[in-house]
Amino acid sequence: MFGRMNRRYDTVVVGGGPAGMGAALGALDAGAGKVLVLERDGEAGGILNQCIHAGFGLQYFREELTGPEYAERFLAQVIDRDIDVMPSSYVTGLAVDSEGTKQVRVLNERAGLASIEAASVVLAMGCRERTRGSIRIPGTRPAGVLTAGLAQKLVNQKGYLPGKRVAILGSGDIGLIMARRLTLEGAEVVGVFELMPYSNGLNRNVVQCLDDYDIPMHLSTTVVEIHGRDRLEAITVAPVDAHLQPQLDKARKVPCDTLLLSIGLIPDNELARQIGIQLDPVTGGPVVSSTLETSLPGVFACGNVLHVHDVVDYVTAESLRAGGFAGEWSREIRRPKDSIQLVPGNNVRYCVPHTLSPDREHTVFMRVKQRVEPARLRVGGLMEKTLRFVIPAEMISLKIQPEMLDRFHGDRLTIDIDPA
Amino acid sequence: MSTENYVCIACPIGCPLELVHEGDQIVDVSGNKCVRGAKYARQEFTDPRRTFSTTVPIEGSNWARLPVKLAAPVPKDRILEAAQAVHQLRVQAPIRMGEVLARDLLGLDGVNVVATRSLGRA
Ligand SMILES: Cc1cc2nc3c(=O)[nH]c(=O)nc-3n(C[C@H](O)[C@H](O)[C@H](O)COP(=O)(O)OP(=O)(O)OC[C@H]3O[C@@H](n4cnc5c(N)ncnc54)[C@H](O)[C@@H]3O)c2cc1C
Ligand code: SF4
Repeated sequence: MFGRMNRRYDTVVVGGGPAGMGAALGALDAGAGKVLVLERDGEAGGILNQCIHAGFGLQYFREELTGPEYAERFLAQVIDRDIDVMPSSYVTGLAVDSEGTKQVRVLNERAGLASIEAASVVLAMGCRERTRGSIRIPGTRPAGVLTAGLAQKLVNQKGYLPGKRVAILGSGDIGLIMARRLTLEGAEVVGVFELMPYSNGLNRNVVQCLDDYDIPMHLSTTVVEIHGRDRLEAITVAPVDAHLQPQLDKARKVPCDTLLLSIGLIPDNELARQIGIQLDPVTGGPVVSSTLETSLPGVFACGNVLHVHDVVDYVTAESLRAGGFAGEWSREIRRPKDSIQLVPGNNVRYCVPHTLSPDREHTVFMRVKQRVEPARLRVGGLMEKTLRFVIPAEMISLKIQPEMLDRFHGDRLTIDIDPA
Repeated sequence: MSTENYVCIACPIGCPLELVHEGDQIVDVSGNKCVRGAKYARQEFTDPRRTFSTTVPIEGSNWARLPVKLAAPVPKDRILEAAQAVHQLRVQAPIRMGEVLARDLLGLDGVNVVATRSLGRA
């Protein structure tokens, strides 16, 4: 397969998940002639290949698909359009020469190390899961403590059941989905323990993954100790007070042989960091303009490497746009520089992109710091909108029209989300 | 008259639903943003059903498991029984996405087991 590959492309995409495939299609639609997708795994599709449950594509395909179905249908579109997709190809570096041409360094299973030239590059490397190290649970280090996503891969692709009595820390959707999955496989799920007073997963997942199987969810509760020498034997859980501090006098021991961690995702930005792209410390992803261009001209970013998304349809919409701008770039079309800085205000943790241009419509994605019900979203003095409720786990998508920005003469636009 | 409260699971929005009934007679459904919510509440009240995804062992492929789904929902209290029946299936590569691997699971009309990806020979 590598033999067929050219050494020069208009747009090269790093990562073959839904973001990478969407970016490739977007680039082609915008007129890029030759587009290449480089994927580290043996097949394209990214994390979708292990997400075998339904719940993908309601917006893009207008029907509810499972992850593998979404990936396979999407890949068929990509291949149909003569986009080169190169699996087993790990991108190790990126350099820019004096003319602005990018050299993508890639390690391929069969061909070894190669360098590919590109006018523009799209970063679409996805995200990683937070591990035990990121929250520091005291206790021993036995086998049986693993992330929910790793368990998902083991069960769904390798057919390997990680344990028989499972506890889950964190109520993120991946953990909820795995509670049901492991129950169907015959394991006993003893409970989900969530630090916050509310679930971080979708309500539909609480209903169809926990309630349907009588799996209890313990809110305002956390794991304070891990027991077991070689294999996990038990965890100690304790309720937390209003300051999220565990109340150890109310702690209790829960026997289990497996603990799944579903405590959040972080963009996988080793590559971006290594080449000096400016990162946003809050999102963990690159700082981008309204064309989703990073601080390195001609290098764009989309999907979970830019900021963590909860639904794949948002990833697809964003990556079609990023790819479109990357495709334009390869045809030497340059957009005017953005003139408006977007500023996260009250209760807004972040917004992406980081800057806007008054000449076209924008989609801004954001997350809140705290749950508010109901909420009022305000964009400068320009617009106001009431939302039924907002929670940190659910991304908010907002369209901003050019007519609105036309009336705006400042250079900083603040977004606030307060109680209504 | 009494009311039942549900969370609609037909899409990620998860509308809170309220169903008012007089014995077996449904009087009113509210809280739904679209028609699918009303349909869900009625179904949930009369005969709650679910679909699910799982995997079956596959031979001759790069992966050990083939992901599958049910083409139609089964009664909620028969989910585990249905999962066990699916787990008895054995398949051989190659398989095409959409291929029907078993029909009318547990004798339930239209509850077919369908492959959700293609898997070629290793
Ligand atoms: C474990 C897990 C479970 C999830 N479950 C759901 C769910 O149930 N429903 C839902 O809507 N969303 C789910 N998500 C969110 C999901 O990540 C997004 O919906 C979407 O799949 C993200 O697409 P992406 O292309 O940005 O990332 P990914 O799908 O992660 O794709 C990134 C790709 O880049 C490749 N890559 C990384 N680095 C390199 C490199 N240096 N060189 C070459 N290739 C590279 C990776 O191998 C991967 O294939 C889940 C996320 C995770 C992590
Ligand atoms: S009622 Fe309609 S909008 Fe509301 S959750 Fe159900 S399907 Fe979604």
